[in-house]
Amino acid sequence: MSLLAVRDLTRRFGGLVAVDGVSFDVHEGTIKAVIGPNGAGKSTLFNLMTGFDRPDAGTVSFNGRDIVGMRPHKVVASGISRTFQNTQLFEELTALENVLVGMHTRLRTGLVGGALRMPWTVAEERRALERASYLLRLVGAEQYAQTHAADIPHGMRRLLEIARALAAEPRLLLLDEPAAGLNNFETQSLSKTLYKIRDEGVTLVVVEHDMGLVMEVSEEIVVIDQGRKIAEGPPLLIQKDAAVIEAYLGEEGAYV
Amino acid sequence: MGSAELLQFAVAGLKNGSIYALVALGFTLVFGSTGIINFAQGEFFMLGGMLAVFFVKLGLPLPLAVVAGVLATAVVGLAFERVALRPRRDSGPLALIIITIGGSMVLRSLSRHAFGGNELSLPAFTEGPSIVVAGAAIERQALWVWGLTIVAVAGLSWLYSKTKFGRSMRACSLSHEASRLMGIDTARIVMVSFGLAAVLGALAGVVVAPLTQTSFNVGARIGLKGFAAAILGGLGNPIAAVVGGLALGLVESMSIAFISSTYKDVIALVLLLVVLFVRPEGILGRATREKV
Amino acid sequence: MGTVAPRIRVVLLAAASLVIASVPFLTDDRYLLKILTFVGLNAIVVAGLALLLGFAGQISMGHAAFFGLGAYTSAYLTTAHEVPWLLAVAAGTLLAATGGLLLALPSLRLKGHYLAMATLGFNEIMSVLFVEMRGITGGNDGLSGIPFPSIGSLVIDSPAAIYILVWAVAALAFVGAANLVRTRPGRAMRALHGSELGALASGVNTVGLKVQVFAVSAALAGLAGALYAHSVGFISPSQFSLEFSILLVAMVVVGGTGSLTGPFIAAVALTLLQYVHALIPGLSKDAAALIQDWEVDISGLVMILTVIFVPGGLAAFLKRRRSGAGVEGEIA
Repeated sequence: MSLLAVRDLTRRFGGLVAVDGVSFDVHEGTIKAVIGPNGAGKSTLFNLMTGFDRPDAGTVSFNGRDIVGMRPHKVVASGISRTFQNTQLFEELTALENVLVGMHTRLRTGLVGGALRMPWTVAEERRALERASYLLRLVGAEQYAQTHAADIPHGMRRLLEIARALAAEPRLLLLDEPAAGLNNFETQSLSKTLYKIRDEGVTLVVVEHDMGLVMEVSEEIVVIDQGRKIAEGPPLLIQKDAAVIEAYLGEEGAYV
Repeated sequence: MGSAELLQFAVAGLKNGSIYALVALGFTLVFGSTGIINFAQGEFFMLGGMLAVFFVKLGLPLPLAVVAGVLATAVVGLAFERVALRPRRDSGPLALIIITIGGSMVLRSLSRHAFGGNELSLPAFTEGPSIVVAGAAIERQALWVWGLTIVAVAGLSWLYSKTKFGRSMRACSLSHEASRLMGIDTARIVMVSFGLAAVLGALAGVVVAPLTQTSFNVGARIGLKGFAAAILGGLGNPIAAVVGGLALGLVESMSIAFISSTYKDVIALVLLLVVLFVRPEGILGRATREKV
Repeated sequence: MGTVAPRIRVVLLAAASLVIASVPFLTDDRYLLKILTFVGLNAIVVAGLALLLGFAGQISMGHAAFFGLGAYTSAYLTTAHEVPWLLAVAAGTLLAATGGLLLALPSLRLKGHYLAMATLGFNEIMSVLFVEMRGITGGNDGLSGIPFPSIGSLVIDSPAAIYILVWAVAALAFVGAANLVRTRPGRAMRALHGSELGALASGVNTVGLKVQVFAVSAALAGLAGALYAHSVGFISPSQFSLEFSILLVAMVVVGGTGSLTGPFIAAVALTLLQYVHALIPGLSKDAAALIQDWEVDISGLVMILTVIFVPGGLAAFLKRRRSGAGVEGEIA
């Protein structure tokens, strides 16, 4: 059974059909890429898979459970984390604190415990700090631990957001254009990080424009164009798919 | 209850409702152009009445004093936007709302310094006994209330639908960014919307002053009721503001007729809370699907 | 959090605590102690409001009503039903918290700042109820003869003792709030103030958290109100007006968002402004009257000027500026 099963997912905005009957599966322990021209409906797809938006039709089942209609925080608690195309960091918090917020669903301290600073609160905080530091090391952002997110360089911000998403201990991690705005060197280190994350047992779905990265890391690719799935398969096949080449003709800067 | 009595209550309801509608229109205008709730809207109502009384005391004839009161309030509205809100117009709503809250606090207090803490009254626009229609007495001033409301609403809809300025205003309420790109001077639109909101508030304050008296602290409650009316109808839509205002006025006066007058002020507020909770898009508003 | 060196912070905090704690031993001026007790009461409310407005970014214009709810509940229970003081205060606090919960639950689901108007409406409703529910509230005459705080046979009836009681509670409120902002719920609050989308994606139930913070801040206002009723022995509706609500908001705004120290200092300053005649011995009667007369204008103007020119509030001065980016915790 697949970890995530998307079936006939449809979302309309007025007359525009942003996502049109899309179906695909994500198997545990793999890295899957979702590609497509700008405005193909990839980000909408992500929103539908994480409770940020509701489909007009179709289902998303995660681990055998339908998650359509679940509020975003419940989706996170159930094991799906995400990042955003425009990073949504907490600018006034340090990198470490950003990751600590990401652990929200895995910590228990409530308002009363927090205010009274109970012994178990202190112990939990200590454990949380250790794990947050580990995650910062995992993505290579440890030197920014005490820096406010607002002051962290662009490439590192994407990695920090990934660390924050990992903090929720997801089984499935959805990354929305993680390589956008990164230089070659940063993209290289990103691909290593993605492998490291997969090796920790996290399944990945990546929306990405950087074809080099997509072809390198992904085991399977779903191609979306104008809201519809036009192809699905391993990178080598996708590169030769006529429909895909058609869809990408004229797309500036993209190549297959 | 006899039909004449019922009619009497309906008349009172429509009279107060018109006032609420004018204040609600002010909320709608500012919300439309800025996306914020202007907490100083009630103070425009207060200033209109107080300034008119002041000009009468200065010796101005009543019609002139009324016009001067409304215009002076408009100047205050324009100045408030220019001096206090424009410097932070790119901030989020919280900062702007806090500024309007501070503004209402200062305007109220300044008015007390300038005009004293007592209740003041304005002479009726036209002297004479009430007109009796089907057993219900209608004060002559009530006719002024309705007349001015109709003129204001008609003028506003003309402005909205027929002028270039109105179109810019509607564009602005849809998207500031897009309007700016289309070459619309959004700063001017925002300022003028404050000016118009002040005019509408002041008009309401002036025309009702002969009936109810006025004082420096009437702004907060009328502001709340105007807001309740705007919400009741559906915030952001001028027609809805008028419908909401009249509906609120009628509900209020019927609750006095059938329940008691003790809690008449509470009715509007409870209604506000209920609408906010149950149907925040208002009676005429279209339900928008919530996107997180 | 504060970038002032932690050691200096601790020293400053200790010094401030020492000054506050030593007041009853330095003076036996009943009036002065009473004024400083009021400062402590406002500080309790501000601790909660700073969490709500300064950390979670939600505004309330109804905290005077919660203060009043706590005051009337506790006063009524002790005078009419001879309920023990501690129990009555707890009831007042709890009722305020429940009121906060009921008000926040629906209005926080809405976008925009409907909460501001809903709380304003709530304050006005309560103002009417305080007057009209004569059987409980005594109407415009208010309730008098409210007993002093007492636990068993221990009666806290001297101004100095009441001062100590109130400030002990205020200290607890601030320590609790300071702990809170450094742990899971507090971080989540600061997070949702920064990016609501990011907070949702981190698994924060943003609506639930806002509602909880609102209830806590309402509870603190109720607690302060209950303590107030028993410190002064008399309450009437005019004390819980909208004006008081706005003044409380002004304290937090002037103090600065994302800070507890700033709002605390602002609460002290803006409360003392009302009693300036009693505090500056040489002040002429006319000057004192003038300041009192213009107190609302001063508070309102200071609030507007803060938002326009120093969005970080007093707290901005307490923190070193970071390079490049603006000051931490501006009102967005």
